[in-house]
Amino acid sequence: MSNDVAPKRLKLRSKPSRTADKVFFAVAKAAGYSSFVLVAAILFFLMLRAWPAFESQGVANFIFGAGWNSTTDPQIFHLGPMLYGSLLIAAIGVVLAVPMAISISYFIAFLAPQGVAKVATVVVDLLAAIPSIVIGLWGLGVFSPVAAEWGRMLSEALGFIPIFSNAVDIFLRSPFIASLVIAVMIVPIIASITREIFSQMDQEIIKGAMALGGTRESIFRKVILPTASGGIVGGVLLALGRAMGETVAIFFVLNLTFDDFNWFKILEPSGGAVASLVLARFNEALDTELSALLAAGVVLFVVTLIVNSIASYIVAKAQPWRKL
Amino acid sequence: MNNLNHLETKDINVWFGERHVLRDVSLQFQNNHVTALIGPSGCGKSTFIRTLNRMHELIPGAGLSGQVLLNGQDIYAQAVDPVNVRIDIGMVFQKPNPFPTMTIKENILSGLKLSGRKIDDGDGLVEQSLQRASMWNEVKDRLSEPALSLSGGQQQRLCIARSLAMNPNVLLMDEPCSALDPGSTRRIEETILELKETMTIVIVTHNMQQAQRVADSTAFFLSENGNPGEVVEFDTTENVFLRPKDDRTNEYVNGRFG
Amino acid sequence: MTETLAQPRPKNAAPWAKLGNRVRVASWITSLVPAAIFVAAWLGLQLDFMAALLTIFLPIQLAFGAWAGFYSYGRKGVNDGLLMVVTFFFSTFVLVLLASVIWSVISEGAAALSPHFIYQNNRYITGTTGLEIGGAGHAILGSVIITGITTVITVPLAVATAVYLTETRDGARGVVRTLLQALAGLPSVVAGLFIYSMLIVSGWSSQVGVMASLALIPLMLPTISRVAEEALRLVPSELRNGALALGAPSYKAFFMVTLPAAKSGIVTAVLLGVARIIGETAPLILTAVIANETNVNPLAGGMATLPTYIYNFLYLGDATSLQRAWGAALVLLIFVGILFVGARVASATRVGTKPKRRKK
Repeated sequence: MSNDVAPKRLKLRSKPSRTADKVFFAVAKAAGYSSFVLVAAILFFLMLRAWPAFESQGVANFIFGAGWNSTTDPQIFHLGPMLYGSLLIAAIGVVLAVPMAISISYFIAFLAPQGVAKVATVVVDLLAAIPSIVIGLWGLGVFSPVAAEWGRMLSEALGFIPIFSNAVDIFLRSPFIASLVIAVMIVPIIASITREIFSQMDQEIIKGAMALGGTRESIFRKVILPTASGGIVGGVLLALGRAMGETVAIFFVLNLTFDDFNWFKILEPSGGAVASLVLARFNEALDTELSALLAAGVVLFVVTLIVNSIASYIVAKAQPWRKL
Repeated sequence: MNNLNHLETKDINVWFGERHVLRDVSLQFQNNHVTALIGPSGCGKSTFIRTLNRMHELIPGAGLSGQVLLNGQDIYAQAVDPVNVRIDIGMVFQKPNPFPTMTIKENILSGLKLSGRKIDDGDGLVEQSLQRASMWNEVKDRLSEPALSLSGGQQQRLCIARSLAMNPNVLLMDEPCSALDPGSTRRIEETILELKETMTIVIVTHNMQQAQRVADSTAFFLSENGNPGEVVEFDTTENVFLRPKDDRTNEYVNGRFG
Repeated sequence: MTETLAQPRPKNAAPWAKLGNRVRVASWITSLVPAAIFVAAWLGLQLDFMAALLTIFLPIQLAFGAWAGFYSYGRKGVNDGLLMVVTFFFSTFVLVLLASVIWSVISEGAAALSPHFIYQNNRYITGTTGLEIGGAGHAILGSVIITGITTVITVPLAVATAVYLTETRDGARGVVRTLLQALAGLPSVVAGLFIYSMLIVSGWSSQVGVMASLALIPLMLPTISRVAEEALRLVPSELRNGALALGAPSYKAFFMVTLPAAKSGIVTAVLLGVARIIGETAPLILTAVIANETNVNPLAGGMATLPTYIYNFLYLGDATSLQRAWGAALVLLIFVGILFVGARVASATRVGTKPKRRKK
């Protein structure tokens, strides 16, 4: 059989044929592209107004320097302690939240009877739906005194370790308390991703491991955790982004210190958080300080954008079934 | 009654992305005949039937060359609206797909509504279409029940009735019975034999007994060693099954492979 | 007398049940003994609850867990026992924290609630004014108006975005999906700063209700479009193809077949979107003055919402202020709870699972 000349390929019209369809797809496309416009507009307008602050303070000084004062001449607006404080609180919050989130996911997916698992799932999802102002209210009104007492006990018992030392004998409004409040808020984020991965896990693999004489613990450590680790890391980063952007809940339980870095003394009442800074200074801010607050917004946006992009990439890789 | 239902293809070639899956398929579907397309899985027969009413182009990466002529007019010509093609050439799918949010009656009339036609005598049309799909007596008292309350076989006949309400010239059926029990299959075959009085029918089937029972002509598709699918033999059903000219056809219809 | 081969079942015909009994006994001992020691230590030695929990209860519990594992399954069981104890401990800790949040809102909030708290506004109220007058009525109204405007603008945009992602084959879909994920992680305070810098600093508008509504759009959009996208994706392609094969133009296939089939998912998406923004605080503080009077005009004057009302009184910090804040928090939580339950119910009713009988 001879292969004659290749037949000419028709151009298939995948375009809509009717006006109404054209309108339909054009509207959908416009809506899809609106998120370009939105993200571009956010960056453009924030940068536009933030520029004077970056210019007067210097980008590197603004991000890494210390000190925030509108009454000096020249005014000093340096974000360093706030940015570091955000990272510190988010990191400790994640460290506290991860064991809780993994435990409750493991409990729901593998241990609890179906009815209990359902209730626990709803409860954890509900926790995710509680507004942060309500968590802030709880944090200030109910939790802070309790957690301050925990802090005092930690300091008394382990004060010889530098991170638990406290020279001022005040335990309220410390990064430790802020981290605990943050942990309460991000447990459901990590738990929902972990739980989904656990429940999607191939039951056959687990049965196979049991048939090979695996115990609960060895299966958890050698089969379940390694398989789920990608998704857990992604969920942790997602939670980290959320924790860094959190505003009101931290605002009420943390004492902001603008001038110095509190590098590690997490029980002392001095810390930083970029989003809370905005809230704290916004009402009194004029011209340059306002511009500096917007610049802080830009930095916060960029940092969370980076953290979230990495997180979504990892989560998407760990959950291939989510892609169509 | 309906003489304007002559369908033929000329040198149809199909690609998915860069992969050539069908080569030079030229078939004539005679008026008021049932033509069966048979062949092993992956030979391109389902792909081919989707080129006949321009459903093929909805698949991402689809490519095509050649002509499909309905009464001498190429349905792939630039000026032709695929929406109108699909009104003239109806299609029934492998899996019954009644619209779950609609009642039985609404399903029958859905084609007219979806294609934006006026409905003059809705009730009459519903009865007529269900009669032609020979299920009127079963469902006439439950027309306003949801379509999903029907059994699988009834759902498939409802989908046939839904296509018939559009009064198509040609009806394409892509393995319409593969998901059904033998009883439902038999009833659909009877329906097909009645319907061919008024239209041209093309049916893809895996079931060779079914092809022998319903089809006047049969085309045997085959894709060998990763080559694009081709029509090996196209003749009357009797000749294809009893006096095949090609050895491969002979082997296939006698169940030696596929 | 005929002899029968059947024998009465011996008591120990289930050899595996013995292990079950051992496990049961071990679990009871493991749960009860440490708890008893803990309670005794806590009450007897007057120790702090948390300290006793961490220094007495948990170690004893772990020891008993390990013993129980060993007793039931032998050496391999030790780690199992430890795993169980740790898992239960942390799970319980999470649930206790959550219960504490909910319980304090309900108990403290209920004390502040009264009929006039629901309909009166905040005029002439200071931080120390008694609870017999004043309420959050203006804030409830403000929350409804501001989230209402946001919802009316965002729902069509978000659903159209979901349509773009599922029904078109545009090449930029991947990028759009990434951008939506970026927006989902947008800190809410940045959304407020965005509207502030774009529309308020430039003098286009003052801090009024509609500015707050605009600031909430980027927060609501990704939630709704993601859930709606998933709902549309769940509609089987056979239905879409069935409609197209009947000669439907794409837009009619969408509106008459795909959208009705995805209806419950879309409703869920909207409810989750509203729940996402109704509790937002920071962007509202930046974009709308927190009013004390009832104001229904989103274009002029300040407007309070439940979250900013709570924020305001939390900021004042007096005893009665806090009570007001708890009262408003309870109202807010009830709103969130209704939306949450609504979303659950909507997503549980999938088309096809329960055919509804139509009345004539």
